[in-house]
Amino acid sequence: MSLVDDSPVSSSSSDDFATFLDGELDSTSDTQPEEEEEEEKEKNDDDDDDDDYDWDQDDHETYKSLIDRTKRRKMSYATEEPNGSTSHIEKTDITETSVKMSYATEEPNGSTSHTEKTEITEASVKKVGCTHPGFIGGMCLKCGEKRDTQSGVAFKYIHKDLTLSDDEVARLRDRDLKNLLRHRKLYLVLDLDHTLLNSTRFSDVTQEEGYLMNPDDPMQDKLKGSLFKLPFMHMVTKLRPFVHDFLKEASNLFEMYIYTMGERSYALEMANLLDPGMVYFNSKVIAQGDCTTRHQKGLDVVLGQESAVLILDDTESVWSKHKDNLISMERYHFFASSCKQFGYKAKSLSELRSDESDVDGALATVLKVLKRVHSMFYDPELGENFAGRDARQMLSAVRGEVLKGCKVVFTRVFPTKFPAEHHHLWMLAERLGATCSTEVDPSVTHVISTDAGTEKSRWAVQEKKFLVEPRWLEAANFLWHRQPEEMFPVAVKEVKDKH
Amino acid sequence: MFFHIVLERNMQLHPRHFGRELREKLVSKLMKDVEGTCSGRHGFVVAITGIEDIGKGIIRDGTGFVTFPVKYLCVVFRPFKGEILEATVTMVNKMGFFAEAGPVQIFVSNHVKIQKDSEVRLKIIGTRVNATEIFCIGTIKDDFLGVISDPAGS
Repeated sequence: MSLVDDSPVSSSSSDDFATFLDGELDSTSDTQPEEEEEEEKEKNDDDDDDDDYDWDQDDHETYKSLIDRTKRRKMSYATEEPNGSTSHIEKTDITETSVKMSYATEEPNGSTSHTEKTEITEASVKKVGCTHPGFIGGMCLKCGEKRDTQSGVAFKYIHKDLTLSDDEVARLRDRDLKNLLRHRKLYLVLDLDHTLLNSTRFSDVTQEEGYLMNPDDPMQDKLKGSLFKLPFMHMVTKLRPFVHDFLKEASNLFEMYIYTMGERSYALEMANLLDPGMVYFNSKVIAQGDCTTRHQKGLDVVLGQESAVLILDDTESVWSKHKDNLISMERYHFFASSCKQFGYKAKSLSELRSDESDVDGALATVLKVLKRVHSMFYDPELGENFAGRDARQMLSAVRGEVLKGCKVVFTRVFPTKFPAEHHHLWMLAERLGATCSTEVDPSVTHVISTDAGTEKSRWAVQEKKFLVEPRWLEAANFLWHRQPEEMFPVAVKEVKDKH
Repeated sequence: MFFHIVLERNMQLHPRHFGRELREKLVSKLMKDVEGTCSGRHGFVVAITGIEDIGKGIIRDGTGFVTFPVKYLCVVFRPFKGEILEATVTMVNKMGFFAEAGPVQIFVSNHVKIQKDSEVRLKIIGTRVNATEIFCIGTIKDDFLGVISDPAGS
């Protein structure tokens, strides 16, 4: 039984302490009127700064000496110095602290006694003092100043109360990119579900999958290290085969993020399964709550330059702003519930007691692609100047080689009157490097068809051209390799209406 | 900064605890309730060191619970602006690092390489205290501040 509502009564004794605390609290607290007053002062000050700033830069050398003079009077400047001009006294008070910060960088020099000008220099120094790059729990990251209104992008996955200004994000990206280039790495954003793993709820485990839950089943040995039961979440998770090797190898070439539409707690739990040592994804797990747009994933919360980011995801639609960075993955369905969710009638891998191939599964394939892009980006022949180099172009170049030299014609694929050039298969074929055409001619190599009975399909057979179904394109897209055409034959449909 | 102070709290006790051990019950419940909590005014209650006074209990209408005003001595920890602390680095990221000094979490914006688990001496430049946690912004850009021991160095 809990006894709640014990109202804490504030201290009634140790008066000395209480008065001390009161004093402290008053001085540190950010009551509204005080802050407003401060801001107002700053505003006035800023106006002056702007005028003085340029002036100061021009004659910087001259004023160096003036700064130095203040240096020797560091601590007591504001109080001891009898100020020449009264109009500057207020400014001196405000800026004193920020001036102190700048001393270390200035060289010692001779001294003069132009008080007014010294103050002007101070004012411009203050402007450099703190730009408030971001706020954490309402306090400026850099100077600790308190603000109630916060603008900028929230980075909840780094700290729950962190927001960074756009300038700071740009600056961090810039600096991080330099660091990244020095380490010869790129960024890699990874999706969780259906890309690196597959999860299902306990209640959705079918009878045929029951062996997964039985610790005595002979299959358990084989699944050890990749199948995890998480009773506290009522979930069972299967890691995609090869995932550990994939992460290990990719971590040498990429700085990796997890980006999932799942909840934060789930994402962290999965990150823990994938990376128990916290070496790959330390504070780089982005979950649903961190996205800035609903139902969309964006790179705005990733502290990396977009030109150096590659994304692995099974859902193309969530990355509408960053399609060029995306490598679509074939969905990994291990559990029956997952197949059902996406409308597959066939038995799931779990029901068949089988799994994706370890050595040439989807992750192994995509790892080769990642390595290609990486080596193209850091091609020694391109030199050491990375300006303007874009991983997205490298990716599209690699992709464009898949069906290079193929000329395809579609038949019975697009709905009638649909603008063919805008169909996703048409665009996919072009992305893969194939040329698309609406009419057959001798240069055509492939006819993609859903029906062997159409005129173009018959032409293909007659002219000994490849006749394949649309899945051939999709397979080539996922496997990054032109697939053997004989594996994708087109069946003759019951023809209802003659072409 | 640590303080050894007397605080007061109204404790409610269930009638089943009335008996010879009433006082002990009250004290153990007080410890459970208070130690480890935060208040904006006094900071983090580290430990109760003694009971100053237990006042007369008042029976509450309807419930039978008895409320005792308890005055207790305790050690509290409250960080102040300008205070120098020694803290352990818990997480390093692109903007700086997070460090902990006991219950207090401190963020330091920093551009120098700092390793996790190293010890740093820092100065508090901003504090925010709420019911469950104290959060501070610190700096290591001042004389005699910075890393004082490296995990690799030891």
